[in-house]
Amino acid sequence: MQKHLLLRLLAVLLGFTLVASACGDDDSDSGEAADSEDVVETTQDGSVLAAVVARGELNCGVSGAGVGFSVTQPDGSQVGFDADYCRATAAAILGDADAVNFVPLTAAERFTAVQTGQVDVLFRNTTWTQSRDTDVGMDFGPTTYFDGQQLMGRASDGFSGASGVANIDGAVVCTNAGTTTEKNIADAADAEGISIDLQTFEDFNQVTDAFINGACDIITTDGSALVGRKAEQQPADQEWAIFPATPISKEPLGPTYGQNDSAFADAVNWTVYATMIADENGINEGNVDDAAANPPTAEIGRLLGGEGELQSAMGLSADAFYQVISQVGNYSDIFDRHLTPLGITREGSANAQWTDGGLIYAPPAR
Amino acid sequence: MESTPLDTQTTVESDVATRPEEASLPPLEWMQRNLFGGGQGSVGAVARSTSLTVVFTLLGLFAYQQLLNFIFSEETNWNSVRVNLRLLFTQAYPESDYHRIWVSLGLVLVLSGVGLGLMKVGRGISMKKIATWCVGWGVLVVLGVFLRQPSVLVGDDGTPLLADADGVALARDGLGALVYLDGSPAPSQGLSVVRESYGDAISSRSGWLLIGLVLIGIAAAIWFGFGDKRRRSTFLPAIPLSIAGIGALISTTWWYNWGNYTFSTDEETGVSGFNFEPSVKVAETTRNPWTIMFVVLVVAYVLGRRLRGRAFEQHFRGLLILGWFLAPFVTFFAILRGPEFDWAYVAAVDLPLWLAFGIGGAALMWALTKPGIGEVGRVLAVLVLAIAAFTWIAAFFGWFGMLQKVRLSFLLLGLTALLAPNFIGEARQRLTLVYVWTGTITIFHVMATIINTPSSIEVPTEDFAGGFMVSIYVTVFTLLFSFPLGVLLALARTSRLPIFRLLATVYIEAFRGVPLITMLFFFTVFVNLFLPEGMELALLAAVTIAFVLFSAAYLAENVRGGLQAVRRGQYEASDALGLTTVQRTGFIVLPQGLRVSIPPLVGQAIATYKETSLLAIVGVFDFLRMARDIIPNQPEFLGERKPALLFICVIYFVGAYAMSKYSQRLEKNLGVGER
Repeated sequence: MQKHLLLRLLAVLLGFTLVASACGDDDSDSGEAADSEDVVETTQDGSVLAAVVARGELNCGVSGAGVGFSVTQPDGSQVGFDADYCRATAAAILGDADAVNFVPLTAAERFTAVQTGQVDVLFRNTTWTQSRDTDVGMDFGPTTYFDGQQLMGRASDGFSGASGVANIDGAVVCTNAGTTTEKNIADAADAEGISIDLQTFEDFNQVTDAFINGACDIITTDGSALVGRKAEQQPADQEWAIFPATPISKEPLGPTYGQNDSAFADAVNWTVYATMIADENGINEGNVDDAAANPPTAEIGRLLGGEGELQSAMGLSADAFYQVISQVGNYSDIFDRHLTPLGITREGSANAQWTDGGLIYAPPAR
Repeated sequence: MESTPLDTQTTVESDVATRPEEASLPPLEWMQRNLFGGGQGSVGAVARSTSLTVVFTLLGLFAYQQLLNFIFSEETNWNSVRVNLRLLFTQAYPESDYHRIWVSLGLVLVLSGVGLGLMKVGRGISMKKIATWCVGWGVLVVLGVFLRQPSVLVGDDGTPLLADADGVALARDGLGALVYLDGSPAPSQGLSVVRESYGDAISSRSGWLLIGLVLIGIAAAIWFGFGDKRRRSTFLPAIPLSIAGIGALISTTWWYNWGNYTFSTDEETGVSGFNFEPSVKVAETTRNPWTIMFVVLVVAYVLGRRLRGRAFEQHFRGLLILGWFLAPFVTFFAILRGPEFDWAYVAAVDLPLWLAFGIGGAALMWALTKPGIGEVGRVLAVLVLAIAAFTWIAAFFGWFGMLQKVRLSFLLLGLTALLAPNFIGEARQRLTLVYVWTGTITIFHVMATIINTPSSIEVPTEDFAGGFMVSIYVTVFTLLFSFPLGVLLALARTSRLPIFRLLATVYIEAFRGVPLITMLFFFTVFVNLFLPEGMELALLAAVTIAFVLFSAAYLAENVRGGLQAVRRGQYEASDALGLTTVQRTGFIVLPQGLRVSIPPLVGQAIATYKETSLLAIVGVFDFLRMARDIIPNQPEFLGERKPALLFICVIYFVGAYAMSKYSQRLEKNLGVGER
């Protein structure tokens, strides 16, 4: 009697195991160990480019809290210079500027996020440095914005745009902790042989508050941030001045991605170059359709996909850069949309076209 | 004995109030005795008491004045909070899917309403308390009217008017530069804003003054209109009063103009912008849902009241607890996450699996509880567990693919099979286990299917949840998982088996010795580096696990404290009755131990709720991060940190205060500290 029962129950169990293995073959759910092998294959054997195309969405790391570069709007969307370059990259790879998944990252998280594959590319005002390029294991694309550390003081203390680091002897200089700005200003002061009282705060909002209420004589950070602060926060009864005209440090900001992935690097780099070439030739959002129909030069014809060989060879669709310009715009369009309103100008700065004496220079598309 | 209203009052009072209640003094006498050292005789005592009262009152008034100056200042830009409310509470959750949030809230309100209706009713709020409350708020409002500094005068262009150091008024010329009224240039230093006169300020606040005086008037009417006895023994029911208060608040959306502060993107031009229209009622977009929510709450409450005292009340309470247990999962994964089912796959894989485990498992349970099954049952249960263990080993070595769900189902089956010997007996008893199994496996399979289905919510960021939503859900899931874990740890630490004692002690001491923020960094940064290539722990899952493990260690110590308060005699008595260890723990020790540990347990729950603000540091876009990093970096509100930070303080406070109040009520209902 008992033996029969045991046999019957064993049969039931066997049935379970059969059902389980039958269902187990197509291992598509449970985001855990089992189905992870597919992911490994794409990241190890193929380029991130293939992974992005397969996913249909670009995971783009941004700051989310950088005025002019990537700002989180009240509805949660991202707007800014960096955010637009994310959208441009998505337009080039996927043909749709809206196929971006923005991942706001802190400065501390950003490189880990690339290494673990959480994001495909960073457009997160990240300075290109030797150690990051080599030791940290990142690769950097063409610089989209040449920034540099500057100082801001009050006109009532005698500071003007013509002041220099030599003029701040004995001043209370404030900046935010954990960035290279602290070291840069200390080095600059040493080089000038002056002594300053350097104070650091946790974030730059605190620094600005301290500047407004007089606790700091000078504040210092990247020039683009100072311009935004001056435009938005200068009280009616104060006059602020940004100096020196030549920044005390070089901060080239551009796209950052994992190293040794040429296919993806090419796609990102040439997206940036395409916006610059279009700018150089006066092709913008408004006239790109005409230019695609009747290319003014052979280079523009190739860039906008006339023959399409150049783009196809990269693994992009022939009209990839046409999509970039028509959906997002050229370098000037992007710059004017987000940085000009803050009072940042291209003329005379490193961000002018090379033909105007700036550093915005793209290799030829041929 | 016939029961008159007076009799019930007295019995209730003598029942609850164990310490003698002092007769209340007239207000003046009370103040003299308690604030100014009266009734103590010596001059020194009076001077000491009076000076302490004066000094601390002044300190309090100063803090209050500063707070008011900030909140109502024309320079404080509350628009940064108003237009960002969506961002603060839900991050990028799409507006077109907001009905999901309302449905979730409605579900929670149904559970709360029914729960409140079923709750044992206390005495309610005495008239004395209401009078005290009215006079307190009335005095605060009146003081506020007189304490707040006069408002800044604002020019036609919306900027504050300025004056030079001597108080001579300045204006702006056509280019926006500051000049004297006669056109000569103004100095750039020593400028100050122009404020209205104190008299104007008071008269412009007469509305507030009236409110304050009315509140004080109500208090006076209650105080002088009622006798001392009736003040203390006339009660208003607390819950209906609170619900009426909520209703009054919601009704303002119908008649008060809260203004319209939104942010929108034009579909055609793609231009987005802020919208500040004081003339449009923001309520128009939210008043219908809020009104529906209120009706839902009232209906649920009435339903709860109706059900109280019915024969099936106990079963209903059980259902309610199950509802509370499932609500976080259902609202988060099934409603808010909006799973996009692949129905063909569900029909081909999920459904057959569920049926196989449901029916097969039920048959197994039925068989295992057969009287006289003897050792065969145990052998089989162990066999099932062995199969479960084997599937995990196979997964580790990658021998054959299998759905995670199947492995977990085998594990559940094995664990339930182990319980079977307790249910051997008549058909009714055996059926209980069958029901338990079917319910468990159904809930498990439904949830597993939903969780594995991709979300249909289109958000521009990584996670669909953010802001306060994340803070709430991390708190709720932490409490849900850490409570059972904590109780198990506490039991293990007090166990007679040395290995359990050792492991529990090591766990508790290790996790209590590490700061929470370190744990969070460990789980968000390091764990992903240790995991096999390609396998990744989502950020929110990682932080929730860290919170659960940390909180469980503290809960375990709180529960252990409660367990130690259970007297030796209780153990001996249950042994004498022949109860098994499981029965003794479940029916005798835990109920008494947990009751004692309610205050520290709620303290831990509140601490967890507040500690979720640490998420901002490890990269989660929670409530604090929105207020601290995101809003002050929007170009329109650059540097505006204070309003948003004050706002989230208030929201955190409301949540923590509600939890604390609820625990007080729970303690009263369970008679903690009285028996």
